[in-house]
Amino acid sequence: MTTLRAFTCDDLFRFNNINLDPLTETYGIPFYLQYLAHWPEYFIVAEAPGGELMGYKFRRLGLAAKLMELLEEISEKKGGFFVDLFVRVSNQVAVNMYKQLGYSVYRTVLEYYSASNGEPDEDAYDMRKALSRDTEKKSIIPLPHPVRPEDIE
Amino acid sequence: MAARGHVQDPNDRRLRPIYDYLDNGNNKMAIQQADKLLKKHKDLHCAKVLKAIGLQRTGKQDEAYALAQEVAALEPTDDNSLQALTILYREMHRPELVTKLYEAAVKKVPNSEEYHSHLFMAYARVGEYKKMQQAGMALYKIVPKNPYYFWSVMSLIMQSISAQDENLSKTMFLPLAERMVEKMVKEDKIEAEAEVELYYMILERLEKYKEALDVVRGKLGEKLTSELQSRENKCMAMYKKLCRWPECNALSRRLLLKNSDDWQFYITYFDSVFQLIDESWTPPPEEEHSLEGEVHYSIEQAVKFIEERITEESKSSRPLRGPYLAKLELIRRLRYRGCNDEYKLGDPEELMFQYFKKFGDKPCCFTDLKVFVDLLPSSQYTKFISQLLEVIPLSATAENEIALPADIKALQQHLCVVQLSRLLGIYHAMDKKQKLTVVRELMLRYRHGLEFGKSCLKTELQFSDYYCLLAVHLLLDLWLEGEDTAVWQCLTLLEEGLSHSPSNAQFKLLLIRIYCRLGAFEPVAELYSSLDAKHIQHDTIGYLLTRYAESLGHYAAASQSCNFALRFFHSNQKDTSEYIIQAYKYGAFEKIPEFIAFRNRLNSSLHFAQVRTERMLLDLLLEANISTSLEESIKSMSLSPEEDDIPWKDLRDNRDLTVLFNWDPKDRDISEEHRKLSLEEETMWLRIRSLTLRLVSGLPTLSHTIQPKNSEKTAENGVSSKIDTIRSLLQQLEAAVDSGKKFLEQKIQYPVLGPPPTRMAGFFSNGSCQCQTSLFYLVSDIYELDTNGLDSAEIQERIGNSFKSLVERLTDLFNKCKGDLIEVRDGTLKTHPNLLENLVFFVETISIALWVSSYCDSVLRPFKSNLQKKKKKKKESSVAMPPVFTHFLDYVTELQTLTSNVIDHIKGLEIILTALKLEELSLKDTLLLQEEKKFTKTVQGKVQSSYHHSVQEIGELLKKRLDTIKKLKI
Repeated sequence: MTTLRAFTCDDLFRFNNINLDPLTETYGIPFYLQYLAHWPEYFIVAEAPGGELMGYKFRRLGLAAKLMELLEEISEKKGGFFVDLFVRVSNQVAVNMYKQLGYSVYRTVLEYYSASNGEPDEDAYDMRKALSRDTEKKSIIPLPHPVRPEDIE
Repeated sequence: MAARGHVQDPNDRRLRPIYDYLDNGNNKMAIQQADKLLKKHKDLHCAKVLKAIGLQRTGKQDEAYALAQEVAALEPTDDNSLQALTILYREMHRPELVTKLYEAAVKKVPNSEEYHSHLFMAYARVGEYKKMQQAGMALYKIVPKNPYYFWSVMSLIMQSISAQDENLSKTMFLPLAERMVEKMVKEDKIEAEAEVELYYMILERLEKYKEALDVVRGKLGEKLTSELQSRENKCMAMYKKLCRWPECNALSRRLLLKNSDDWQFYITYFDSVFQLIDESWTPPPEEEHSLEGEVHYSIEQAVKFIEERITEESKSSRPLRGPYLAKLELIRRLRYRGCNDEYKLGDPEELMFQYFKKFGDKPCCFTDLKVFVDLLPSSQYTKFISQLLEVIPLSATAENEIALPADIKALQQHLCVVQLSRLLGIYHAMDKKQKLTVVRELMLRYRHGLEFGKSCLKTELQFSDYYCLLAVHLLLDLWLEGEDTAVWQCLTLLEEGLSHSPSNAQFKLLLIRIYCRLGAFEPVAELYSSLDAKHIQHDTIGYLLTRYAESLGHYAAASQSCNFALRFFHSNQKDTSEYIIQAYKYGAFEKIPEFIAFRNRLNSSLHFAQVRTERMLLDLLLEANISTSLEESIKSMSLSPEEDDIPWKDLRDNRDLTVLFNWDPKDRDISEEHRKLSLEEETMWLRIRSLTLRLVSGLPTLSHTIQPKNSEKTAENGVSSKIDTIRSLLQQLEAAVDSGKKFLEQKIQYPVLGPPPTRMAGFFSNGSCQCQTSLFYLVSDIYELDTNGLDSAEIQERIGNSFKSLVERLTDLFNKCKGDLIEVRDGTLKTHPNLLENLVFFVETISIALWVSSYCDSVLRPFKSNLQKKKKKKKESSVAMPPVFTHFLDYVTELQTLTSNVIDHIKGLEIILTALKLEELSLKDTLLLQEEKKFTKTVQGKVQSSYHHSVQEIGELLKKRLDTIKKLKI
């Protein structure tokens, strides 16, 4: 039971219950504005009947699957070849979930997530799922070597 | 750095090394290389600009600017120079200069699409909407591409948004924009989805909802494909505006048939059904019900529709919460209208019970049911809770043992019931003994539940964490009811919880709030940093830090947290304009006003204004007349008493006051009223602080001048206007203090986890407010002495009396700082954090006293040397010393003695804190288990160490202040 709607700048003031989760990164303003300016249709927020933005407390409801489904639907309409996403290597729960949704690891991006408190930066998996336009699924053939963040286009 | 398209151009080859140096951050080499190049090629302007960039980046702003203007004056038209200048101006934060640059360029090369486009974007960066409109059209005339035309249209909308005169916006800008689009529609030239979006935006703003609807439903609407359900959402919005309830109903019904889990459409569905009933709407005979198909217009239909959704749900592979919650929502609405029973929807208590049986193992079950608990009669609360408990599979190992869940699902269900119990006020109604029993039980359940999470990674939360949190909430209740030990138990349990679940932000937040209330900031800094809060979170939860760091004497931490926040706010301006431009480029037109509103919301943030003000006060406190003079400090901050940059009327409270979980019943929860009052209080306190800052910043402007001292009038716009400013600010301060006092008379108690109260109450009650205002009145008197000379005995006496009463008041303030910070009484550890806050206020007040004293000193010194000259001339042995000199000397001596006494007192506190061996204390902690005691020691040690830290920083600052007194002996 969810209201899915477009994310707006004002939601940035309300997403703490999601972003204080250790695996959720809070990015600088440019990150969010860039997405809003360029791909607003992909930027969706889930709101509970009580008005809360749905974070950790709303796990195990199939919400992630639903949001990923929307993402793929929009990308199909745009005629993309594949959908890809970045996820912390340590976030096993998410990695497994993405696998279940049909994503596979395409490559590892070294030290993509900056850490605080003197801990080492964390690697990301770049996971992909081919869309119908990529009939031979060329876009998801795994790379043999990890890449650095500055080498991803 | 710059686009280097023409590889053949020899200049490019020559410039390349400079670009490379700049790109690598080697600014010095870039400057040298540029100089070398300029010796050979005097007219290679771009080299000059690149040199200027190097200069700018090495802190030579003035030279950089001069050099840039030299090139700009030539009105360059080469790509390299233009782009380099654009970069330079941006780094100088002078985006308006870029517009001048390209204005000149398009004049010289009127057919350049590139330069016109740069000009448009330069205007966009500074928000010159009218000029954008013209630039867009100019572009379109050179190259008839649709986007350019619509940039121009969008600029009209921006003019209408920014117009002060709403009439002008509705009668001129928007209709013009509409006509411009209509023209394109008629000529069949509409190409992109963004263009249709823009058309819709214009019509919506013109309140031409019917026309907007026609566009969305018509041929043009077919282009609206990117966003999901874009057409449906827009149609729905227009139906609502037009009160076309049949269409609202039919459309939401259809969307619910597609997805029976989307809450927003249930709301619209119910809204519309009841609207139609109230209008006694009936479908037109032999026609479609509505544009969107079949309409439901009776309660019977609505009931049937919801029941059908539930039947459908039972066939779905994944359980959906929507239909069940919708049923509860329908009951709520029916009850509100006074008719429920006749529709046999069922008893809400039973329905909620069934819901719990179905979804109780989902963590969201509590939040879902929370929305509907007001459907339960309060007499049924206990029964309802026991009914839920009965169906949870719990098992006890032995008799009289607590029955525990055997798996995670049962644990989740049980947690849901505990949360509901708190929400229904069941725990609140208990007496102390019962509450303690529940705390025990919850902690037992918490520790038992850890078994299920043994394989959890440290980034994951433990399944049973909420038990611990809820136990702490109960203990907090006890603490507020006067149970002193409870606060230590709170901290103990939270530290224990955090050791098992090191990523739990709620543990950290609650620890932060409680440590702060105990006056212990040291552990807070670490906890907060482990939350990894950044960027926008500086605005939304930064208050957790900034409210307490300075007021508890953790000056270094206070500076740091202000700096982090300020860095974020300052980058906002630059960041947002970049994306406003991108939104034009990508045709995300509806985002442009949104970005601007967002920028404004950050710029007028309450927290921004607070950290700005407190940061400057803090800098003065730590540095003025210690490492640099007050005058220099104020100059370096570009402070002036006349200037007020706080948008008082538009202050936005961006604090996230619900960041801490809370299960309190509605009547104890944070309400809208609390938010409103807190904002009011914060604003009042900010006003007092800002006026204090401005008054202090006015002190150096009064300092002794060579101007004639006959009357205040002679120095027009000079010092006399400065004293007028000071006096007017002082009046404003008095008024602000008055309204602050009135506000506090209401004795508002925010919920313990709600907005923290400001420092205002302490400021008034410990007497620092009175001291500080008296000090500023003294300034006014001293000024009078300065202008009127030593002839008036009355002024001198007045000043003398002020000195005396100030010493008394400061002594009183000191008395409010006396006492132990920690004491052991009746086997409990008691803390007195207000003594710390008072000490901090003392240091601030004595600092202001000393700044005022140095002003006084600067006034008296010339008088004294004059008198001494006279004395020498006349060779008289006894020229009478005017009384004000003695008064001042006495005053300064007293300040010195007082400050020394406070320093001694602080030393005493330090000795006590060091000597206090907490581990040797045996506190009557009947509640604590052996394993908990370990955490209690840690917690008490942290508080002790934090107090020590506070006292040290305060003491050190005060010692520095004492040194400055010695310079005041005239």
